[in-house]
Amino acid sequence: MVALEAHEIHKSFFIPATRMDTVREYMLNIFKWKHLFRNHRQLSVLSGVSFFVEEGETVGIMGRNGCGKSTLLKIITGIYQPDRGTVQCALPITPILELGVGWNPELDAIDNIYLLGAVMGLTLRELKTATDEILEFAELREFARLELKHYSSGMAMRLAYAVAFRAVRGLLIVDEVFAVGDMEFKERCYRRLEEIRREGHTVLMVSHNFVDIGRFCDRAILLDNGVIVQEGSGPEIADAYVHSLTGG
Amino acid sequence: MMNHKTSAYLPGLIWTLVRTDFKTRYHGTLGGYLWALAKPLTMFAVLYGVFSVIFTMDTFYALNLIVGLFLYDFFSEATRTGVLSLHAKAFLLTKTKFPSWVVALTSVSSALITVVIFSIAVSGYIAVFKRPLSFLQIGCFSLYVFLFLVIIMGIVLAGSVLFLRYRDMNQIWDLMLQAGFFFTPIIYPMDIVPHKFHFIMYAWMPTVVIQFSRSVLVRGDIPSLTAHLMLAGSAGIVFLTGAVLFWRLAPRSMERL
Repeated sequence: MVALEAHEIHKSFFIPATRMDTVREYMLNIFKWKHLFRNHRQLSVLSGVSFFVEEGETVGIMGRNGCGKSTLLKIITGIYQPDRGTVQCALPITPILELGVGWNPELDAIDNIYLLGAVMGLTLRELKTATDEILEFAELREFARLELKHYSSGMAMRLAYAVAFRAVRGLLIVDEVFAVGDMEFKERCYRRLEEIRREGHTVLMVSHNFVDIGRFCDRAILLDNGVIVQEGSGPEIADAYVHSLTGG
Repeated sequence: MMNHKTSAYLPGLIWTLVRTDFKTRYHGTLGGYLWALAKPLTMFAVLYGVFSVIFTMDTFYALNLIVGLFLYDFFSEATRTGVLSLHAKAFLLTKTKFPSWVVALTSVSSALITVVIFSIAVSGYIAVFKRPLSFLQIGCFSLYVFLFLVIIMGIVLAGSVLFLRYRDMNQIWDLMLQAGFFFTPIIYPMDIVPHKFHFIMYAWMPTVVIQFSRSVLVRGDIPSLTAHLMLAGSAGIVFLTGAVLFWRLAPRSMERL
């Protein structure tokens, strides 16, 4: 079964000659609107991107900075709207575009688990049963009632990973979240990702790390200037990405 | 886009956002969560003392003034916070997908808690020291607060998306609120305004809610059914206008965060 299908996605951003963000600026430039709008430019970020992900598959997306990876993920997640094209997803989406989204440093770990978990789609009942498991995974049980502002960055990150991985539903979308953490914790996260894959979840991951793409992805796509330039297996695309960077 | 994400988590999300916002607001304060009760009760006591004992004004004037001040303060604080709500939660809305109207809805929760506590306090004071309030009077006042909330939500929905396009919307709204404070008959009675201008004053929604609330709580008079229907209709129109504007502009507004 096709879990996700993106068809002919086009996205561009309007860059005006003079940016007007306030009512005052619009009023002051009231006689210059035509000139200003004529002198804008369209920044094309995605041009006719089409791909699909089968249920249970792990697909990687690679590309240089600015090629449109994050924009594509935001369109798939529903944060942005495409100018043209459609995205059909048969599964609930769990996006992990950044760790610790929604953190409140004035609250303790348990309140932040509820906050983060609720934002990521967990119900109150699920959060109640999952709190112990999350604290166990993050090895923060004894610091559960400590405010997050007293946590080290490593502790906060462990908590963020723990909540994120617990909140996984049908389609997991990850954007460069394995780029942080020490080796021991990274390995634990990698093992958790393997478990998620074995449980049959579908994963779409963006990474610059060709080792991660080669290791985890069944298939991958290579984006360049908003178009898919190559599709293939994870190791194949990882190689192609490295070659595109080194020119070799 | 088709997304089969269930909406079962929404009630929990709304409750969690309200609860954590409330907790953060009073975290680390001397009185803790008691401030949520103390603030409106203390303000009520101070204002009543000032205008009844120190200035020795007519009790009706003092109560009318307090009802007007609290209700307008609710309107002002809720809309001010609401207009900035999407921008304030940009870190959340650009990194995960959940209905942005939830952010707008929960932004007025703090002001709502204050006005609910105040409503209980002033109703209790009137019932104990002035005259008993009938269920109909309590019900009518509760309805006015609810309709006021509906109006506020309409303004918040419209204002929050418009602010993402026009970043001086909050300043424009602040000016309107300040002018509106003197336009609304809060510190002066409506009777001193020539009758032919009353229609204009009633076009500003807080005037209607405040006048009706005063009529029910202070004088014990229930406005006519027609007046209630007009208030409800106006509240519905404001809310629908805000909702339509939000529905049209919100999907693309995340790109402006």
